[in-house]
Amino acid sequence: MRARSGIATVVLIGALPIALIVGVWHVLAATGMAPPSLLPAPSAVAARLVQQWSSPAYLEHAASTLLRLFAGFGIAVIAGIAIGVAVTASRWVGATVTPLVRVLAPVPKIALYPAFILTLGFGDASKIALVVADAVFPILLATAQGTAAVEPKLAWSAQAAGASRWRCLLTVVLPAALPSVLTGCRIGLVISCIVVFLAEMITSTDGLGHLLVRAARSFQTVDMFVPLITISLLGLLLNAGFNAVRRRLLAGFPETTE
Amino acid sequence: MIAIEAVSKTFETEKRRRLPALCDISLAVAAGEFVSILGPSGCGKSTLLYIVGGFVAPSAGAVTVNGQRVTGPSPDRGPVFQEFALFPWKTVLGNVMYGLQRQGVARQQALARARELIAMVHLAGYENLYPKELSGGMKQRVAIARTLAYRPSILLMDEPFGALDAHTRTRLQNDLLDIWERDRKTVLFVTHSVEEAVFLSDRVVTMTRAPGRLKQIIAIDLPRPRSRAALLLDRRFQDYVVGIERLMDSADSGAPA
Amino acid sequence: MTRPVSALAAVIAAAGLLAAWELAAWLAGIDGFPPASRALAQIPRILTDGEALLDIAASVQRMAVGFVLGVAAAVPIGLTMGRSRHVAAFFNPLLMMIYPVPKAALMPIIMLWLGVGDASKTLVIFLGVTLPVIYHSYQGSRAVEQKMLWSAAAMGMGGLSRLVRIVLPAALPEILVGCRTGLVLALITMVTSEMIARQAGLGNILFNALDMAQYDTVYAMIVIVGVLGFVLDAAFERLRARLVAWAAPSHAIIAGTT
Ligand SMILES: Nc1ncnc2c1ncn2[C@@H]1O[C@H](COP(=O)(O)OP(=O)(O)OP(=O)(O)O)[C@@H](O)[C@H]1O
Ligand SMILES: [Mg+2]
Repeated sequence: MRARSGIATVVLIGALPIALIVGVWHVLAATGMAPPSLLPAPSAVAARLVQQWSSPAYLEHAASTLLRLFAGFGIAVIAGIAIGVAVTASRWVGATVTPLVRVLAPVPKIALYPAFILTLGFGDASKIALVVADAVFPILLATAQGTAAVEPKLAWSAQAAGASRWRCLLTVVLPAALPSVLTGCRIGLVISCIVVFLAEMITSTDGLGHLLVRAARSFQTVDMFVPLITISLLGLLLNAGFNAVRRRLLAGFPETTE
Repeated sequence: MIAIEAVSKTFETEKRRRLPALCDISLAVAAGEFVSILGPSGCGKSTLLYIVGGFVAPSAGAVTVNGQRVTGPSPDRGPVFQEFALFPWKTVLGNVMYGLQRQGVARQQALARARELIAMVHLAGYENLYPKELSGGMKQRVAIARTLAYRPSILLMDEPFGALDAHTRTRLQNDLLDIWERDRKTVLFVTHSVEEAVFLSDRVVTMTRAPGRLKQIIAIDLPRPRSRAALLLDRRFQDYVVGIERLMDSADSGAPA
Repeated sequence: MTRPVSALAAVIAAAGLLAAWELAAWLAGIDGFPPASRALAQIPRILTDGEALLDIAASVQRMAVGFVLGVAAAVPIGLTMGRSRHVAAFFNPLLMMIYPVPKAALMPIIMLWLGVGDASKTLVIFLGVTLPVIYHSYQGSRAVEQKMLWSAAAMGMGGLSRLVRIVLPAALPEILVGCRTGLVLALITMVTSEMIARQAGLGNILFNALDMAQYDTVYAMIVIVGVLGFVLDAAFERLRARLVAWAAPSHAIIAGTT
């Protein structure tokens, strides 16, 4: 009882600021304090949202965004985990990669986008490359830190049972570091979401980011809100899906605060 | 069968300080023998066990097992750690199966053997629970089953019952002795409890405070199979316990150089 | 990462990256990928060009203002969230919704409202900085030992004074981790917003050069932005280490971007 009413309160309080924002927005639009060309009414945006979400053309744009997002994120996950594990496993790789990461991690990857355009063209490849460049670092760092922090006795137990070095790395060290690895992946996922949208805004002929820029050029204010809300909800949805996967994968681990 | 020959270990700390942990340890353990190691905290008992296990390299000296020099871990030396070190993402069954799978045992056979071991440590019915859902004593029994699964001929046990309540501890001691009577494995057993050492062992090795050296080796001449209730009343058992406790309290000046 | 990286290793890593770039460019032999030596040769020209320099200075100034305002707003919010479940419940869902939205993508809408001047760009940077700083302040404040606050209350400290005198210093290490992420984000948001708005600044110079096929300049600008990111991060890390010498060393940032 207590817990349930507690959750209800939390949800209510959480809905408050969002309701407040929509309310103020509505009043501003309804009273004409903000002209529709600058701030369309929330109802107009909602109507357009529903209309767009059922339009095949819009969904096609969303699909190309998702395709780039998942391609980039997938590559970043594989590369980030592989390199992160290698950093811990091999003194040599660690000594080489650690300073490289130290130099590259704080570099704003978006600045590399022109270089990717010049070398990979204006199509999907350059955008995917940018997503990889941005998402790979949190995954790599979390994997390296997580695997380095694994209790050595877990690995010893495996080696004593006859596991080879590689076998031990894959069947014990990596699973033991999974909580940390997944935290890195979740940060990488949100980053992928953000970066793919930005890349599409900077140069693209399709995708949600392109829709925003197209709307901005023709001053279609309503249409500017729609892709932004879409990407926000997409991010929430991906995050929720990721959390479900995470809960399942981490079934045996003690609860964490995240 | 295990020969520890003039083993020393010095750790290098982060600030390049050298920390001697073990000093010139020599000890021979016969096949099927149960040997306990007693010593003050920080004297290097765990380190010695890790060196025999091949997890940590000695700074000087060597360990040979059946005439072969130890250079790394091997399934004929099974460790049981004080911290359990169970795989948190695997169930009880998964943990016990791990070693069997690494040994290439066929799945059906591995399953059968794992279930048998789980029953032996009185955990039948708990196969599908995760370690976090078990009590400390249950976790320790899983850890023992996991190690016994791949049939090591030597058990290296580091205060396996240290974190348990007195009751569970007594039960597990009895279980361990039963298993040992049956298979006659060689056991190297680290403990803080003099009673436990005397109750279980053929010989008790005492160590000085850090850096650890061998102090004295006491042969425990008590009949087997042993029963705790009978031993507690046995004058010879009491004498061993009191004698070793005195020895541990005495200054380390009596240590062999 | 796990080991602190010496300055020498970082220099060697940077030199290695440049050498690899030089070699790859010679091998590739395409216009859009000039060798490092040609790109680096452009840097003195850019940095002595008064107009470009003023542009860059203006960019950095906006970034500094956005960063300072962002931190000033975010720290109190994060700290109170950490000490009150209701405040946390109030802000959390809203923050979750804003998290996956690229802040620089708000540029077109904000430009509608505030014009193309400094105000829009600074606001976007401000938004980019606040989120990580709120998050880390929240985590830091939440982790403050309750008993410490009880003893402070017993000594007669009021709520506000507890927040300033106890929670703030105790959470400082975590807050500074957030600030470090925020600083990198400020730079990223600055460059990205300039790429989207295309009015002035580093991002604009970068894309103008791209449009005019001045490839050497494009890569020179990428190097300048990259070095700026690295230097800002390293300088802040040094400051952070001095401020919270008593706390455990922080790892390289995992979180971060756009
Ligand atoms: N990895 C390490 N690095 C540096 N010093 C270490 C390391 N492991 C152990 N030591 C040091 O070696 C000494 C012996 O440690 P060890 O853990 O073997 O003691 P112990 O006898 O098992 O103690 P306890 O009874 O408390 O378990 C200690 O002084 C400890 O500080
Ligand atoms: Mg120990």
